[in-house]
Amino acid sequence: MELAIGIILGCCALGAGMAMIAGIGPGIGEGNAVASACEAIARQPEQKGAVTSTMLMGCAVAETTGLYALVIAILLIFVAPGMFVGILKDALTWIPTL
Amino acid sequence: MKSLDPTVKRETIYVAAVVLLLSVLMQAVFLVIGRWDLTVLWGNLLSGTAAVLNFLLLGITVQNAVTKEEKEAKTMIKASQSLRLVFLLVVAVIGAALPAVFHLWAVLIPLLFPRIAVMLHPLINRKEGGS
Repeated sequence: MELAIGIILGCCALGAGMAMIAGIGPGIGEGNAVASACEAIARQPEQKGAVTSTMLMGCAVAETTGLYALVIAILLIFVAPGMFVGILKDALTWIPTL
Repeated sequence: MKSLDPTVKRETIYVAAVVLLLSVLMQAVFLVIGRWDLTVLWGNLLSGTAAVLNFLLLGITVQNAVTKEEKEAKTMIKASQSLRLVFLLVVAVIGAALPAVFHLWAVLIPLLFPRIAVMLHPLINRKEGGS
């Protein structure tokens, strides 16, 4: 029983860590977007407002990917272990021979 | 400290307004399904504020980055994104670790409200252009 609970907790922690790998992507994407925006503003300084506005919205969209990963990681750490251990205990009461 | 760019100010006010509107909607949904209590309100306040603050910090970083060289801007935005993600992680962990004060779902859902605000942005802009 303890081994099964340990495996569940370990897998949840591992899953949360793996989910957070998705947090790397938005940083790279936003960096590229801003670099291109710098170039665009240098070429057309009069369009600075429009470029900044579009880029800000683009960065916010890109960042959501990281936020989804964050939400999944939090759920895996704080919600999933209790739920899975509960399911395991229920299963053991249903099948007492195990 | 440099003053806030009018574009950043305008977009942050827009996002804050949409987050407020969606927060009210979320409170109403919790009330309708009979799950409302003070923890929902505190959770919503915590993460709604964090979401708007995150967008404001993104705006300030972008405002500063566009005046820099390409490579420097890239590094700056990457560092900012990492720090802001850590900030949101801390907010989410605080919300999840204190179930007596914050409702977990009321903390997690408002973090995604700025995305909805961005989705609605072209629609509202079209309306403004049309009137």
